[in-house]
Amino acid sequence: MDDDTHVDRSVLSALREVMEEGYPELLDIFLADSEERLKVLRAADSAALLVETAHSFKGSSSNMGALRLTELCHQLEQQAASLPCAAVLELVGKIDHEFAGIRPLYEAERQRCPAKI
Amino acid sequence: MQPLEPLTILIAEDSAADRLLLASILRRQGHQVLTAANGAEAVDAFREQQPHLVLMDAMMPVMDGFEAARQIKALAGETLVPIIFLTSLSESEALARCLEVGGDDFLAKPYNQVILAAKIKAMDRLRRLQDTVLQQRDQIARHHDYLLNEQRVAKAVFDKVAHAGCLNAAPNIRYLQSPYALFNGDLLLAAFTPAGDMHVLLGDFTGHGLPAAVGAMPLAEVFYGMTAKGYGLAETLREMNAKLKRILPVDMFCCATMLCLSFQRRSVEVWNGGMPDGYLHRIASGERTPLPARHLPLGVLSPESFDERTEVFPMARGDRVFLLSDGVIDTCGANEQLFGVQRLQQVFAANRQPDALFEEIEQALRDFGGEARDDVSMVEISLLEPEQITPPALVYSDSGQSCPLDWSVSFEFRAATLKRFNPLPYLLQLLLEVHGLRAQSGALYSVLAELYSNALEHGVLGLDSSLKRNASGFARYYQERNARLGELKEGYVRVHLQVAPTDDGGCLTIQVEDSGEGFDVERVMERPLDAIRLSGRGISLIRQLGRNARWTDNGRSARVEFIWEALA
Amino acid sequence: MPVVTEVSPDGQKLTISVKGRFDFAKHQEFRQSYEDKKLSAVVVDLKDATYLDSSALGMLLLLRDHAGGDDSDVRVVNSNTDVRKILAISNFDKLFDIS
Repeated sequence: MDDDTHVDRSVLSALREVMEEGYPELLDIFLADSEERLKVLRAADSAALLVETAHSFKGSSSNMGALRLTELCHQLEQQAASLPCAAVLELVGKIDHEFAGIRPLYEAERQRCPAKI
Repeated sequence: MQPLEPLTILIAEDSAADRLLLASILRRQGHQVLTAANGAEAVDAFREQQPHLVLMDAMMPVMDGFEAARQIKALAGETLVPIIFLTSLSESEALARCLEVGGDDFLAKPYNQVILAAKIKAMDRLRRLQDTVLQQRDQIARHHDYLLNEQRVAKAVFDKVAHAGCLNAAPNIRYLQSPYALFNGDLLLAAFTPAGDMHVLLGDFTGHGLPAAVGAMPLAEVFYGMTAKGYGLAETLREMNAKLKRILPVDMFCCATMLCLSFQRRSVEVWNGGMPDGYLHRIASGERTPLPARHLPLGVLSPESFDERTEVFPMARGDRVFLLSDGVIDTCGANEQLFGVQRLQQVFAANRQPDALFEEIEQALRDFGGEARDDVSMVEISLLEPEQITPPALVYSDSGQSCPLDWSVSFEFRAATLKRFNPLPYLLQLLLEVHGLRAQSGALYSVLAELYSNALEHGVLGLDSSLKRNASGFARYYQERNARLGELKEGYVRVHLQVAPTDDGGCLTIQVEDSGEGFDVERVMERPLDAIRLSGRGISLIRQLGRNARWTDNGRSARVEFIWEALA
Repeated sequence: MPVVTEVSPDGQKLTISVKGRFDFAKHQEFRQSYEDKKLSAVVVDLKDATYLDSSALGMLLLLRDHAGGDDSDVRVVNSNTDVRKILAISNFDKLFDIS
């Protein structure tokens, strides 16, 4: 994947600088929370839940520099109420796919900075 | 950027990663951080820890940001706790809602450290501003309480000074004055002279509050002190002016109208410095004579330049004088219109029953619909029969045990002295050293005053009392008196006082001589004692109040006695 | 509304114009307009003054005192009817040349 359109590296450096020793923890939490949200999205049975979860996912993705993921979540948030079921499922699938693609990048970041004691 | 003081900041955000990130950013900026994962936790944390500032996510479970914000604002009360909403809400409706619930600003995701720091700084400035305002407000409230207390004390002291007055005791005075008139600069004083005349002063000091009240005290002391000793209007005014000129700052003065109402002589003497017109109502003719200000207020002119010239008007029984402060004229109505002199004149014109006029003016002021002003002062003084007035007994400061019983003294007052000195108060004080005479002080003073004024005015100045036959003649008489007195080069008035013991008690003999032409004694004695006529009443008075009144040397010498019984 | 001052070319005469309400709010401004000057003749122009109260009378007395008291030459000009009336009741024409 072309890293720059999916993840803004400058955001990651800024995060590393701000978080200092807390950077690994931040990455861990982000990855864990994102898995949770994806589960909810896949199983969601109401438009309201979809909107709420997409909104939340959008927020943290943007903070972590995941540009494309942010954009996709924004679309889902805007359209979940109006799109037909099939289109919604498709969008959720794209989100899932996008996350799977950028996940290794964050894991690599995690490896690079082991938690200091 | 200037470093900010560290604040305690509460973060309410349900996304753990975002919460962690924000907390790190804030700690890095030097702040103390509290966190909450939902609205309810946020409200609890606020209640317990009282952070300076809140960063609030809009969408949270359990209690959303809007409700949490509302509750936190309520808990904060008067204190400003800025709430910055963390939101990527784009619809203006949602943003409007943030403001409605009390949000002060927004921060969008992704979090920008620079913008966040700038917003925190701006919000903190507002927070501190509100804090300052509340502190100052409380300071002002405390200060105000001190002021009120100072005023209470000042008023208590003033009331003691003012107790010598007869404002409430005299049956012929009606007045309207607010309880805090003193602190609006309004002053109303009234006291009897030893002769039974009444001095009244309505004054209006510049300024308000304590400065105005402070000037009132020395003024009142001079007024009461000199009136009790028998000094006239002119001398009292001169002293009051000198005192105020001496003690008050240049830009402070006291507008005043002062009256001397004489029930015996049926006249009113008026001096108005800077006050609105007073009014003299004549019952018989229904005539209203305005009493305008002819002088500068008290405390402006130096003693050398002070003008104590008064005007004298005759009064009949039932006539009355109205005095008003400018609070009456300046009463503001519904459209900021002033009550004004014309409306007052209308009330006068519409009045049918003289006794009701005072209430009619009060009613008109109320009807005018204006704000009730607290500096309206109004006084009505009527002329009653002397018998209806009982001046209070003079209070003496000695025991009267050691008093002079056998003595005599003679004075000769010559031109230069006659022009500028009134010997009567001094003579009276001297005579009141004789204990036995004290019970007759009123009569004594009246007789002395009549003898002296006859000697001076008819004798030395050569004025014809028949001039005082009517109202305009009255005015001319007093103008002529002042003119001739001013030009006086020669002449004298001699006063001899002799006190001797008798078998029963004692006897005072008063003899007054003047350098004038004299008068036809027999003719005047033949006239019946007439209570109504304006002129020529002096001789009747002397004959009525004293014993063995006698005129010799072609009327140039007058003699009268006062007897008393020794007290047990 | 301000208090405007103007000194004559030969530096001998000071004209002070008071606009709007002449009351306590103008106290400091009015004083500052003359206090650092040595005065021989002063003119107070009330052409645009709408109202005068007792504190304004006090301010005029302070000015007169500063300008030499009984030896001062202070003129109050262009008063409207209302202002004139107030000056008349207080008999200030005995202290100032009023027109």
